[in-house]
Order: sequence, then C-alpha cells, then structure tokens
Amino acid sequence: MDFLFSYIVLAEIYVLLGLSTNLLVGIVGIFSVSQAAVFGVGAYLVAHFTMATDPLSFIPSMVIAAVCCVALNILVTLPSLRVSGDYFVVTSFGIQLLATAVFTNWTAGTGGANGLPGIPPPDLFGLPIETTPQYAWLCTGAVVLGCLGFFLIMRAPFGRLLRAIREDETAVAAAGKNVLRAKVSAAALAGAFAGTAGGLYAAFLSFIDPSSFDLDASILLLTMVVVGGARTLAGSIIGPFLLLALPQLLTLVDIPTTIAAAARQLIYGLLLIMFMLFRPQGLAGERL
Amino acid sequence: MLALQLLATGLVTGCALGVVAISFSLVYATTKIFHVAHAGIYTLGGYLAWSLVMSGIPMPVAVVISVGACAALGALIQSQLYARLERRRATHLVVLIASLGALAVIQNIIAAVYTPNILQFPLQWSSRMVSVGVVRMNYTQLLTIVISLIAYVGTMLFAHRTILGKRIRAVASNPMLADITRLQPQTVYVYVIAIASALVCLPGILVPLDLGLQPYNGVTPLLTATIAMIAGGVGSITGAFVLSVGIAVVQNLSLLVMPGEWSIGVTFFIFVIFMLFRPTGLFTAR
Amino acid sequence: MTAYLEVTGLDHRFGGLHALQECSFTIEQGRITCLVGPNGAGKTTIFNVITGFLQPDEGSVVFRGRTLDGLRPQAIVHAGIARTFQNLRLFTDLSALDNVMIGIAGQFGEEPLGAIFRPIHTARAQARRRQEAIATLEHVGLADRAHDLVRNLSYGEQKLLTVARVLATGAELLLLDEPASGLSAGALDAVMALLRRLQSEGKTLLVVEHNTRVVQQIADDVLFLHQGHLMAQGSPEQIISDPALAEIYFGGAL
Repeated sequence: MDFLFSYIVLAEIYVLLGLSTNLLVGIVGIFSVSQAAVFGVGAYLVAHFTMATDPLSFIPSMVIAAVCCVALNILVTLPSLRVSGDYFVVTSFGIQLLATAVFTNWTAGTGGANGLPGIPPPDLFGLPIETTPQYAWLCTGAVVLGCLGFFLIMRAPFGRLLRAIREDETAVAAAGKNVLRAKVSAAALAGAFAGTAGGLYAAFLSFIDPSSFDLDASILLLTMVVVGGARTLAGSIIGPFLLLALPQLLTLVDIPTTIAAAARQLIYGLLLIMFMLFRPQGLAGERL
Repeated sequence: MLALQLLATGLVTGCALGVVAISFSLVYATTKIFHVAHAGIYTLGGYLAWSLVMSGIPMPVAVVISVGACAALGALIQSQLYARLERRRATHLVVLIASLGALAVIQNIIAAVYTPNILQFPLQWSSRMVSVGVVRMNYTQLLTIVISLIAYVGTMLFAHRTILGKRIRAVASNPMLADITRLQPQTVYVYVIAIASALVCLPGILVPLDLGLQPYNGVTPLLTATIAMIAGGVGSITGAFVLSVGIAVVQNLSLLVMPGEWSIGVTFFIFVIFMLFRPTGLFTAR
Repeated sequence: MTAYLEVTGLDHRFGGLHALQECSFTIEQGRITCLVGPNGAGKTTIFNVITGFLQPDEGSVVFRGRTLDGLRPQAIVHAGIARTFQNLRLFTDLSALDNVMIGIAGQFGEEPLGAIFRPIHTARAQARRRQEAIATLEHVGLADRAHDLVRNLSYGEQKLLTVARVLATGAELLLLDEPASGLSAGALDAVMALLRRLQSEGKTLLVVEHNTRVVQQIADDVLFLHQGHLMAQGSPEQIISDPALAEIYFGGAL
C-alpha cells in the first residue's frame, strides 16, 4: 500500500514537471532539454536551505527555490530567444550539461556524484509531514494548485497569446504584441513549476543525486509530454502517470540490471519517434 | 612546457571537432534541421570500427565499412524520419524531438549491446608517442590532425567545385526556389546527410582511438561543434572549422587555471558572448 | 506642413538583389493610396520597412512628424500603423473572435501573474474586450462567424478577418497587402465597400493592389513602383492610362 502511495507522490511531482514542460514545449513551442536541470536546481536549493546550520522550514525554502528557478529561466531564455529558436536549442543543451557538471563536481555545495543525504521531511507551517500517505496529500494539494494555475493561464488572454505565438510569431508582432516578453514569462512560470517539483522531490526522497537531473531525465520529461499529449491539462497528467509505471512493467520482463537504464531510455527514444511520426497529439493532447 | 602541450592537444581536439562542426553545418545549412541525432552517428562510427577490428578486420577496411554504414544510417534517418515528417508538414519542434528520439535510440542500443563501460581499441601503433619539437603526441593525435585537415579541404573543394556541391549550396540558399526548379531538394537532403554522416564517422573513430569508446560521448562534442558553427557563421565551412580549433584550444588552455570538469563552462561562456554581441558569427556565409 | 507619412531615400539590398533604390514618397491623411507595380517591385518590402519588420540599409520613415527608424513592430503598431499580410497569416487553430482579440491593445491578463492571482478581474476584462471584438467583426460583416475556427472560413471571409484584426489594434494608418486578390466578384465588392467605409470613418489606407478595377474604384492616389523606385505618382486615371507604365506592368497589353 505504501508502494502505491509512493507511486502517486512521484507521479504527482512529475505532473508538476509535466505542466512545466508542457508550458514551455507544448504551448510556447520552445524545444527544451534542460527541464531536469531546473528541477535539480529546485531540489538542491530546498535541500540546502532545510539542512543549513540555521535551517529554514519547508515552505520558505520552497518559495526561495521557486523564485530562483524563475530567475534562472528568465536569465537563460531572454538572450537566446531574442536571437532565434535554434539558439535556444544550443543554450538548452548547454544549460543541462553545465548543470550536470555542477551537480557532479561542486562537491561542497551538492555533495557531488555521491549525492546529498539526510534531507529533512517537510512541514506545513509546523504540521510535520512524515508518512507517505501524508506526503501524498501534500503533493495532491500542490498538483491541484498547479493545475488550477495552468487552467487560469490558458483561459486568460495570456493563454490565447501563447497559442497565437506558437502558430505565427510574425503575425502576433504585427498585431502589436511583445512576443519575447510573452515567451520569457511562460518560461519563468515553467521555472516556478519545476522548482517547486524539485523541492517536493528532495523532501520526499530525503536523498538526491545528480543522476535524477541529467539529460536522460530531461528526455523522460519530454517523453511524458509527447505521450500524454501537448498543451492540455489531461496530457500533463496522463503522461507522468503512464511513464512512471513503465519501469514497473519492465521488471516483468527479464532485463539484466546493467542495461536496465539503457533499456528504459531506448524505449523513451522509440516513443518519441513513434509519437512524432504517428500521433503527434499524444494520447490526450493537441498536435505538437 | 605545459602551455605548449595543452595547445597541441587543443589543436588535435579542435581538428576532430572541426570535422564534426563542418558535417553538422552541412546538414543544418541545407535542411535547416537541427540534427541532434548526428551525435549518435558519431558514436556509432567508433563502435562499428571497434567491432570490426575486434573480429580481425584490418583497420583501414574497418574504417571504410564504418564510414559507409554511417552514411547509410544518416540517409535512413533523413529518408524515413525527416522526409516523412516534412511530408506531414511537421513543425520544426516535432522534427527536433524526433531527432532527439533517434539520438536516444542509437546511444542506448549501443549502451545495451556494448555496456556503458569505456572500451579501448586494441591497436598497438595508435598510442606510440612521437616528439614534435618540444611537444609529445601519439600517432593517433597526429593522424587526427592530418585526416581532419584533409576532410576540411575535401569538403571545401566538394562544395565549391563539384556539381553536387553547387547543387547543395543552391538548395541551401533557397529551398523554395529549388523546389520549383529541378533541383529536387529532398534528394539533395539525403545526399547531404549521407555525406555529413560519412564525415562525422571519422572523428567518431579517431577520438575514441585516442581516448576510448563510451556510448554517451557524442553529445558534448556536438554541442561544442554547434557553438563553433554558430560563432563561425552558419553556412561557412571555414568558419566552423576555425572556430572549432579556436574553442578547443581555449578550452585546453583554460586547464591551466581551472579543473577539467568545468571546461564545458568555458565553451558555454564563449557561446554566451557570441550570442550577446555577435549572433551572426564571425565569417559571412558562403 | 509635415506630411502624414513620409518615406525618404529608402535603400535596401538582399544579397545581390537591390530591392529598394532611393525610394521616396509621401502619404496624405484620410486618403486611400494604392501602391502598384510589377512583381518584385518592392511593395511588400516597403511594407516591411514601414512596419519595422525590416531595417533598411538607408533611408527613413517619418509618421506624423515622428521618426520610426529602429522601432520594433510592436512599437509601430502602438504609434498607429498596422498591416495585413499577402498570405494572411491568420491563426488557423483559433476562432475568428480570438484572432481579432489578439489585436486589442492593453488587455489585462496578458501576463501570467494577473491571470493567476486575479482571475475574476481577468474574466470581467475579457468579457468587455469580447464585446469590442464582436463589434469589430460586425463592422467587417463577420459577426455571425465569430466562433468559427479560421480554418473553416472561406477565403473571402478570411480576408475580411485580416482587416478586422488590424482594426482591433486601433491603428489609424492601415497598410493592406492585396486585400482584394483571389476573391470572387461578390466578396470583392464587400471588401471595396469596407475600405470606403473605413476611409469615411477617418482611417488612412495604403493598399498594395494588382487589380486595376479595384484601383480605379477606390484609390484617391496611385504610386507606381518599379525596381524598388517610385516611378510615377498621380490619380488612378493618369497612372492607368499611361502607355509607358502599362508596358512595364503588363508587357504591353492592358
């Protein structure tokens, strides 16, 4: 039973990441392989603040982490989006590889390749969250808030603006709207979601290491959005729940552990190709 | 002297990177696709050559076969994946994601078959050391410089002197017009990617010959190569090659002042500078 | 007296192509001016320069005494100039109403913080804007198609929608790129009536048009462009009846 709750908690954390990735990739149309890097920044920041010699409690740490991730995304998208879309591809790869290098080598700050153990469990303004079912409640609350925010944005003029930008940026500029500001705002929002997800992840697992936040992880996030479906709330929820169940399904097949990780990534790659070729709208989304 | 040694190693790496950059540039300038799967072909080339050599085939033959296989794989990706997507009027983003998927598939098949551990080529001569002035290099490194320069010159001659090369440049400069005339862009794309894949197989063999094979070794060189391509000016073969050498040398020299794990930071820093101050690159496209 | 729109010495090359050569002209307020000329004369290039999509190698554009040099497209729309595109560039997956609403300036809820933290205010503001947009659609005769997706509109309706979108921006100088091309006779009349109606409401129009009948019926002035240079300027009758210009435009026949 605890196992089921664990699955739900992780899936919900990844739903937040799915919303974030969907915002960036699905709605604005920016190709990003650095989502996991932002996820990682959020996780390490919350870990740092809750484990510091003068620790902050969970919620303030989360807020700081979210704000930092917002700033990070703005910093990264502003110069590169100003130039062209393909520049952002390079920037995104660079950010992801750079982040992995920092997570792995800055041993003083991140524990290096061995990771950061002993992250304390969260508390909601004094109310401790210690058992997995309690954690599931916390995450469900976060996901509900996240989905609500996503829904409100898409219903507002901002959502319409983003959809129009994806179709034809030039026409949007000709209508008098600031395209760059809209894209950067969307990226900033995506950063907030990813940073929050990172904090929840760190506190739940109480141990984090760079392997959860590398390029392969970013590819998994993209796969979730592609399979679940782009630009919809349903897609952002279905994708993570489905793809997190995949490793469990794989254990039914006899794959030696040395190549288990490669097998998973191989399946993600195949899913990406198949869906782009035959079902670009994913299971419950709109055409990418 | 350490700095000179680092300079020399930088030259070697830079030359190999230069071939990655020009081959990627060929594809990008012509098809406008940011073909990230190129990193996978780079990786595959080395592993194929290794397998062939391990089963007793002499190295030169192994290289030729690998080059051919890479060309075939590249052509396959273009004709079966990219061309299909183009026919369905897929967006730029969709093609990018598909290319990323292809990269993941190639890399992870290699990791599954060969394990993620580093493998070495079983060739004695490759690590024989030689003194070039005050600097020491091994045969592989020398070979890398020579072959890369030949590849560069060859590509330049091909682009400017041959009919196919001119056809490619025509398509690259105006695909819509090419579509209406008899230039048949889709066919040209297949040729371009086949040639580029054949080219990238060379550093894909030479670099692991020196440093060892690893399934995920393609992404970082590709990233550095794309940065060199952009900084050199998209469409300029010379720009891509020269900037690759330049970046590699700067990266290597930075080892004098900072640990090697941060060298990607150096590359990225160079990219940011170009993006902020000279996004069109140093050389104009021709 | 400063001209309403003054274009001076525009010069621009695209690689080997000298698209604009020392191009200069002025537009007067409240009039419909047609920009004509053979293909490749530079008409769309001029539109791109005026609306900030292209920075010319040389030359300047001054609108109501204020220079537009170096301004980005969004700023030029705010200054009062908006344009349509020859290939429409409508948002096909959005409804006609949504297409118009994109053009409306200064909406609340166009950035995430307002949208999330003040949802009720956003919804109310949207409702008001929606009324404005429907009024604009009525103005061009598309009110009954407001909620249909653009991909489901006829070509003529889509053309009217492009005009509605620029109207929504509130711009006073409208640059229309071939608003009448490819239309059936009935749709053509509707467009021409719309353009005259807009003029009577105080808008100034600069229209690229190939159809001589349209030019004759709606133009107050005609600018004849050839090889990036203003070759002739005058009333529609003067330009159309000039045999030398006809030679350039049609290769002889008229």
